[in-house]
Amino acid sequence: MTTSTFYCRDDFPALRREIDGQAISYLDNAATTLKPRAVIQAITEYYETNGANIHRGKHRLSEEASDAYEAARVRLADHIGAAANEVVMLRNTTEALNLVASGLGLEQDAYIVGALDAHHSQLLPWRRFGRLELTRLDAHGRLDREHFRALLAGRPKVVALTCCSNVTGVVHPVAELVAEVRAACDATIVLDAAQYLPHRRVNVRELDVDFMAFSMHKMLGPTGIGCLYGRGQRLAALRPLSVGGGMVDWVDADGSVDRRIPYKFEAGTPAIASVIGSAAAIGYLEALDGSGRHRHDEELCAALVDGALARPGVRLVGPPDHDDRIALVSLKLDNGVSAGEVARLLSDSYGVMARSGHMCAQPLVTELAGGEILRVSAYVYNEVAEIEGFYKALDELLGLMGPAAG
Amino acid sequence: MNAFDAVREEIAYAFDRTDFFRKHMEDNELRPDDIRTVDDFQRIPPTSKSHYRRNFPAGVLARGYTLNSPHVMRFQSSGTSGDRLNSAILAYDLTRRQATAIGVHPGFADLWLPGNRPRICRFAPPNCSDVECATGFSSMADRTLPDGTLVLTVAHDLLATPEWQVVKAFDEIDAYGPDLLVVDPTHLAFLGRWGRRLGRKITSPKKLHVVCGYTLMTRVARRQVEDFMGPDVPIGDMIGMSELGYLGFECHHGQRHINDKDFYVEFVRDGRPVQEGELGELYVTTLDDGLVPRIRYATGDYFTPLGGECGCGTDLPVVRIEGRATHMVRLMDDRLVTPGAVDAAVGAAPWLDLYKLEQDRAGACTFRYIPNSSARAADWTALEHRLTDILAPNPVRFEAVDYIACERSGKFQSCVSRLSAEVTR
Repeated sequence: MTTSTFYCRDDFPALRREIDGQAISYLDNAATTLKPRAVIQAITEYYETNGANIHRGKHRLSEEASDAYEAARVRLADHIGAAANEVVMLRNTTEALNLVASGLGLEQDAYIVGALDAHHSQLLPWRRFGRLELTRLDAHGRLDREHFRALLAGRPKVVALTCCSNVTGVVHPVAELVAEVRAACDATIVLDAAQYLPHRRVNVRELDVDFMAFSMHKMLGPTGIGCLYGRGQRLAALRPLSVGGGMVDWVDADGSVDRRIPYKFEAGTPAIASVIGSAAAIGYLEALDGSGRHRHDEELCAALVDGALARPGVRLVGPPDHDDRIALVSLKLDNGVSAGEVARLLSDSYGVMARSGHMCAQPLVTELAGGEILRVSAYVYNEVAEIEGFYKALDELLGLMGPAAG
Repeated sequence: MNAFDAVREEIAYAFDRTDFFRKHMEDNELRPDDIRTVDDFQRIPPTSKSHYRRNFPAGVLARGYTLNSPHVMRFQSSGTSGDRLNSAILAYDLTRRQATAIGVHPGFADLWLPGNRPRICRFAPPNCSDVECATGFSSMADRTLPDGTLVLTVAHDLLATPEWQVVKAFDEIDAYGPDLLVVDPTHLAFLGRWGRRLGRKITSPKKLHVVCGYTLMTRVARRQVEDFMGPDVPIGDMIGMSELGYLGFECHHGQRHINDKDFYVEFVRDGRPVQEGELGELYVTTLDDGLVPRIRYATGDYFTPLGGECGCGTDLPVVRIEGRATHMVRLMDDRLVTPGAVDAAVGAAPWLDLYKLEQDRAGACTFRYIPNSSARAADWTALEHRLTDILAPNPVRFEAVDYIACERSGKFQSCVSRLSAEVTR
């Protein structure tokens, strides 16, 4: 295979680590990504040179910290084509989706359309606040568009979409789906972009969604930062999940006045250093955009998919092609071989970090695979050679773990 | 054939059949023919857990075997302090080593009478239990291992185990009717305390036996286990490792015997064999292990070989368990205080439910203990004096508490040292 010359591995200090004298291949990027030095330095610099709390303080350090924090918000907003006041800094995608589900003021038994390949975080909040119907998938994990349209005919209050499945790697045609929703009903459209945004840019204005959630830790940023985009008017009408310090303009003995968006959703002291580190992550990713990153992503995807299709003993959970997917494959292991045991052996014996289990998408994994899967997900710092190494290790292991001879 | 001939055969077999050991020898310019005497043998650098972790299965499984070969049992252990391991063992090697070791205690002789296959319940840290479903959200069938052992549910953080899970453990023991409880002694002591509170006992239509393993059996835990199980239940302390099985056992005279029939054992310190009465790390060489032969495998566990004969009548050597290198308290005057020595200083302490001595990276020690309702000021004052004496000149802080956390692995270690863990890393 011809591979691009894209290379950024040296920017990631964690990749220098050896375990038991062996280099590591980090292929669990759909769970979280490693951090480049630029992000680590941004966080460290805040703590080494400042460390003060943001907003209400009048002193110099507080003002500097506030400036850096708000500049980070502007950077993140710009990355997705939003206004800065439309981006709320939260802990993670899960919190963002819960904020929307709980804050919309849905009536009990409100009809909500979702999809079977949603992450639990895009399933359970909607189950809690409404009556969720899931769009079916075909055998490869692509949406059953007929079924989706049929569900829309019931005029849902909310349509909860997932941009990209964290199990199949399938990228759904969100623009088309949004257009269908707009044509069919006046549902609020809530998009989970946690798996997609790390790989491709999204412009929320062009996409015409009402809310979009994503996590910085899946795109080279620190853990503890999830972002919620909300169209200005929709965000303003949302009820905050948490109340307390930092989200009010006025409090007296009888009541309080919430701050404007996005601050009314950011109660308490936020993860200041991590927000600042998130801006550094965006800066790092954007700098990679023109350097063959997407071509590299396609090569990784092809190596993952082709590797799965080429060998016996594994079944690809997802489409058997390279179209509309990210560099991620989930594998069902034949002959009752335990994905958990294989993941552990890949790690301890070969230095390959992959994930096993239900991937927080148990209904989908049960439907398509019947049980635990092994997931391998690549990102900017991975190389095709690492994926080849993974499959070589897997072959060796399955050769020793397959059916007993004789 | 004498024991050393068997060692030479094992070396030849490991060299011939495993890529890892061949390379280990070749890297040190050794071949099996070079090993003719015990002195020659000691030229082989010890092998370690990390060697076997990294090379499992392809590099350490003897050619001709797979992980699905008949009688191969595989397991994943959480290890101690995160030093985890994946490995495999032949069921009959496990049985052979178990029989040799347990043979020192006649109270267990009836378990393996011809025709009797003991029904085993395991109550131990969840990550040690070969199944991830020992978390309560599972049925008895889910938690029954291929050999029939029922794994009981318990929380990773032992003292945080909720009442429903404790009740479930009692109910399942009742329903299963075991001959043998294989337990972590701290866990069984915990179950015993709950049993008193709930008015529950462990019962079985079979004669019960208790094998304790996984962590050091403290005298405090042993006292509680004996009180709870009663005088008719034989209780034995196993010396074992997941990857090797039974390395030794406690005889009916209360002495620990090391299994030198199925292993060639060495006690080594600073690269040299120790004398009787001196502390040494146990190195093990397997004998006739067709699956994963191990040569000079440094276990990380320390013992003092005591020499002499034991009144129990067995000829397996008597040792005193000292604990893991990473758990030893390092004093400012360069002395080591082993977990075994701490346990001896604490004693059976009828007023005490649980304790943990922890040394921080700076060398300071904290002794946390959970007293029971019988505790009196004189009890803990006396204990404070004893521990202060053996840990001097290092400072020791004492805290009576009602909760002590387990390691993330689920193991409760009664004595740990961050300092030693750092030094030995």
